[in-house]
Amino acid sequence: MPRVTVQVRDAAGHTATATANYALSQPVLGGYYLSGGADPTADMAGGNFRSLTQYRSFADGYTFPGYNRPWLINLGRAGVQMNMVLELKHYGAPNAGPQSFTVDGTSYTVPGPSMTIQQRPGTTWPKAYGYGQVLNGQCDGLFHRALAQYRTLGFGVNIQLASELDTDHEFGTTEGSRAYTWAESDARAVQAMNYILTWFKARTLPAGTTFSIGLGGFDRACFQRTHPEALMSRLDFLQWNTYATNANDTALARFRRTKDWGVADLGPVALSRPVIIAEWGVRSAEIPNQPAWIATVPAAVAKLNAERGPRIVRTNYFNSGWGTLSPKAAGLAALRAAYATRPYV
Amino acid sequence: MAAPTAIAALSAPDYSPGDQMLLTVTYSDTDTKPLTVTIVVTDAQGNSSAPVKVTAVIDPLTLTVNDDSGRTWTRVSDNGSVAVYRAVA
Repeated sequence: MPRVTVQVRDAAGHTATATANYALSQPVLGGYYLSGGADPTADMAGGNFRSLTQYRSFADGYTFPGYNRPWLINLGRAGVQMNMVLELKHYGAPNAGPQSFTVDGTSYTVPGPSMTIQQRPGTTWPKAYGYGQVLNGQCDGLFHRALAQYRTLGFGVNIQLASELDTDHEFGTTEGSRAYTWAESDARAVQAMNYILTWFKARTLPAGTTFSIGLGGFDRACFQRTHPEALMSRLDFLQWNTYATNANDTALARFRRTKDWGVADLGPVALSRPVIIAEWGVRSAEIPNQPAWIATVPAAVAKLNAERGPRIVRTNYFNSGWGTLSPKAAGLAALRAAYATRPYV
Repeated sequence: MAAPTAIAALSAPDYSPGDQMLLTVTYSDTDTKPLTVTIVVTDAQGNSSAPVKVTAVIDPLTLTVNDDSGRTWTRVSDNGSVAVYRAVA
């Protein structure tokens, strides 16, 4: 760590010395996600893409690198930092029921997922392994299966537990026959995340393994409830997602919203953690000129990082859903240009 | 003579490449006194010149800044008790 030493000397040779240390940060990592978890190699080629988000369900028998995803190993070996979102959420058939399998000689039978999440009225509520199931040890086999595959990858990743707990809990959850409010669901999730962290951290993990939990970051109270200091002391990153869905949304305002809540509400341990923006995007319906908006992101991130509070270290563009680049070529060109700009270089 | 004091403060704990870095040094010495000397020249006949004022500092302080990473710090301002230096990360 560089150090500045200041010396003040008077005429008689008496001196006083003061020092100040500082750190030089690495450039922010520009990153990507391609719709459907598809191979992003072609889109990333030749650009300064150094980070990638991926989603896997613990229910899936192929979490690392994922089913038919050998490219993930190539990208990881090439130094792309992986943010692997591992979800208790079940992505649907097949295997919606109990699963029996053997990992490293241990046989497991994991019951079917017993919780519903994302209970938005008028929609089909997705299933997820329940926080109670996790705490009862019923999901240990899922964790073991994921870990066994992870150990063969050859590089360390960030494991982000859940994609967006706020989205999962916004309309409450139900496990078994019992309904839980949003706040109750948050408290149960914190317990379950702690359980999963304890499970993984008690075992040998690939070098470079880090952990975070997933939040959309759109609700201040939920963000605070899900980031108690005791949990944050076991996590390496803060995380939230950032979308522009209104014609008046500026990059600075959108990237800063959750940060400002965090700085105001969270404790010193949480605020000592750097930030992964696992998803960011600009919705073309409201902001047709996606390239122009993307071009404002580097300056916004640089400005936020020059301010007090946790530093944003990775930003992964979500080229899917709200963030779908349309037309893709122009959006990708804008991303490449942005990631070739300070603070990404 | 008393010993001087110095405090050094940076504008941020860490910087990204290319950022402006500011270093503020607050320093003093109880012996350091600015003073003004007024000079009047009087000849043998008692004719006096108009008074001329000059300023001086008793026990002036000199300030040096060293960066162990070799970064160059340039003085932006110095009012005798607070000095500001600038460098590029």
